[in-house]
Amino acid sequence: MVAVFVLLATVFKLPMGISLALSALAGSLAGGEGIALRHLVEGAFGFFDIILIIASAMIFMKVLQESGILDSLVAAILRAFYKNKILLLLTVMLLIMFPGMITGSSLAAVLSTGPLIAPVLIKLGLPRLKAAAFIAVGAILGMIAPPVNILVMIMGGGVDMPYVGLTLPLLIITVPPAVIIALWLGTKDLRIVSREEMQFLLPASLREKYGFRLYLPLLVVLVLMVLQNFRIGPIPDLGLPAIFFVGSLTGLFCGRRFNFFKATQKAMEEAMPILSILAGVGMFVQVMTLTGGRGWAVMTFLALPPALLYLSIAVSMPLFGGVSAFGSASVLGVPFLLALIEKNALITSSALSAIVGIGDLMPPAAMAARFSAQVVGEKNFFRVLRHCMIPAFLILAMGIGVLLLAPLLDKVI
Amino acid sequence: MKTKHIIAGSLLLALTLAVGFFSGREFLSMRQDDEIFPSSGLTAKKMLSDYFPALKDTAGDTEVFIFDSAAKGGNLLIVGGTHPNEPAGTMTAILLAETIRAAQGKAVIIPWANASGFTHSDPQEGSPQRFFLETPAGRRWFRLGSRVTNPVHQWPDPTIYVNPMGQKLAGIEARNLNRAYPGKATGYLTEKVAFAVMALIQKEGIELGIDLHESAPEYPVINAIVFHENASELAAIAQMELQAEGFEFRLEASPPNLRGLTHREWGDAAGIKAVLLETPNASHGRLKGRPTISLIVDGKDKYYEQAARLGRLFVPYGPDGIPLKLRVARHLAGVRAILASFNELEPDKAIELADMPSPADVQAKGLGPFLK
Amino acid sequence: MRILYHLIVLYMTIQLVWYLFREKNFWKQASLVLVLVLFLLRLFLIE
Ligand SMILES: [Zn+2]
Repeated sequence: MVAVFVLLATVFKLPMGISLALSALAGSLAGGEGIALRHLVEGAFGFFDIILIIASAMIFMKVLQESGILDSLVAAILRAFYKNKILLLLTVMLLIMFPGMITGSSLAAVLSTGPLIAPVLIKLGLPRLKAAAFIAVGAILGMIAPPVNILVMIMGGGVDMPYVGLTLPLLIITVPPAVIIALWLGTKDLRIVSREEMQFLLPASLREKYGFRLYLPLLVVLVLMVLQNFRIGPIPDLGLPAIFFVGSLTGLFCGRRFNFFKATQKAMEEAMPILSILAGVGMFVQVMTLTGGRGWAVMTFLALPPALLYLSIAVSMPLFGGVSAFGSASVLGVPFLLALIEKNALITSSALSAIVGIGDLMPPAAMAARFSAQVVGEKNFFRVLRHCMIPAFLILAMGIGVLLLAPLLDKVI
Repeated sequence: MKTKHIIAGSLLLALTLAVGFFSGREFLSMRQDDEIFPSSGLTAKKMLSDYFPALKDTAGDTEVFIFDSAAKGGNLLIVGGTHPNEPAGTMTAILLAETIRAAQGKAVIIPWANASGFTHSDPQEGSPQRFFLETPAGRRWFRLGSRVTNPVHQWPDPTIYVNPMGQKLAGIEARNLNRAYPGKATGYLTEKVAFAVMALIQKEGIELGIDLHESAPEYPVINAIVFHENASELAAIAQMELQAEGFEFRLEASPPNLRGLTHREWGDAAGIKAVLLETPNASHGRLKGRPTISLIVDGKDKYYEQAARLGRLFVPYGPDGIPLKLRVARHLAGVRAILASFNELEPDKAIELADMPSPADVQAKGLGPFLK
Repeated sequence: MRILYHLIVLYMTIQLVWYLFREKNFWKQASLVLVLVLFLLRLFLIE
């Protein structure tokens, strides 16, 4: 199946989504399952929720752009922070992490505050690709950081570990890399500008015309995201797609007028490659499972001698994360967590979540990298990945380090 | 050639509709309920919605079988299908409903507790939709569902699920009946189902509850009696009894901070003696090879065999596998031992079930001969 | 809530079909099919 995929994607240069779907079909035929139509569609449905989130988030992004709200917000941030480099970098890092911290999804982070901070960083002199890397890595750290870490929830669900007492281990794993990476990526290129220069850099703001209304859509989205953590009386859990939709509709009335239908078409056009890849990946994984290939892969990693266990974790979890970080947490995270069962599960699951989180940078899906590239207007996300390498290794080292030091940390915290 | 892409579009749209139609037909086939032929000992058949009317005409409604006796005694609840992908639980409940008669006290049986979960399969698990057993009357099929409620019936998932006891869980757990207790009358469908079961417990005066599950062989809580702390003595006596019969069971205390679980909240909120039984099932583990019908029924799997040799499992897993008949036999033995232990501890609330197939017979002959 | 999601899916299905006929590149059209099937099946509450 992998060979068919590589052949279709590289030699015939078919789109990734189609290549995945066709190789899944080939796998099902070769495995004696015929055209396992139900399995193909069922597998794709595994990613339906994420497809819905991406599609609605892309619409929200387009709305922010078309209505001129984005430019106005960028202007506001520039005005507030242009003087102090370190403060600016740390604030921007927190801004990009925030949606990830409260939703547990790096995608939510890249797509909600990413478009906001990319122009800020670029205008102050950070090269485009580095700005994208900043967003991608920040979003992943946000996904890992407390209070909400869905990766840990998924792994915890597989071993009956309640999601309690994770704040401290998760902070230990995410805060140092967040500070180091923000400064490392930013300090060299970022310039301190004078007031006049700052004024010159400012994009056209609609602040004068629309006033506070401009901040409403983003505010609405962030407030609704925070509300997800509670169940208050009649307020239902909206879920991310509806939150982005509410934000988009708010945006219709808060800035420059535009055609919503056309904006959606543009959003669909830009989102289509990743949407079809996700559907294709779902088909691929289902056929892998159906033909026993998934069991074989999991078993191969688990069968490695104990000395290689950590290496196997460091390699396989991010690699599978290239399909889906959530999938990797479930399929590999749970068995690995069980293999490490003699250690404190709170610490090991936190560390594993950091390792699996890097998967969001891995092709073919490479969700965090792909969308941050899009946010800065870069077509080839591999160019962004180059700048993510060192931060990714730092996070990986942090994860493995915490795994190795788990017994020690257990005594300290 | 301006119209070329319109033609291509039309053809592709037709393809989409065709794929949707043919796969959709297969998806919908799971909406058809399994058949059940209760024994002559049945005294009443109800629906879960009889205890909580809001459940009526929803996908969460399901059949409840009541076996009452003339002799005064205690009241027992047996639940299968809390997780529809754990067939030994459902099959044990069906087997009991098709064979038993209450000689003392009352037994209430729910074979498909999460009825909605039986109408679809877990994506990316590649599971068959149903499996088959040979019975005296011919071949019967039984559905293998998903661990969670069908998203078509409960949609969308929240980003984070805060369950009725305030525990934060991954969003998908909002569809896990084994996290939804004690339920919520105005909550998600799954919470309504839990709420209805709690109402049933109260209305039927249940004193002892058994929730039947299966778990993956790599999971530590397996071949186990998981007990609520108010049933610790009950579980300990049952375990000794099982050991004497040749069935090894682990005793696992239910962690008090893991909230929303069936037996946890049955014990906490309803105050009944509550236990959960686990048997090993390779078909929903992560190491499984081909997820065939045979994997469910015969339970042989080469990767689990390998994992057992490597010491990665919490149960022995040999080349003979762990077949469904053994898993159901273990559940039956568990139910029998727990009942005996309950009767010993509370003689004035004794529950006697007659005509229950013996675990040894089921293990030897399979379930088929005992079904109708 | 379910009605809201139903509307979202309906809106996106319409958008997808519209896009299917607007797109000139065959392979892009074909990629879209993978996604459209899912939206259709959910729209009719089949899967
Ligand atoms: Zn279970």
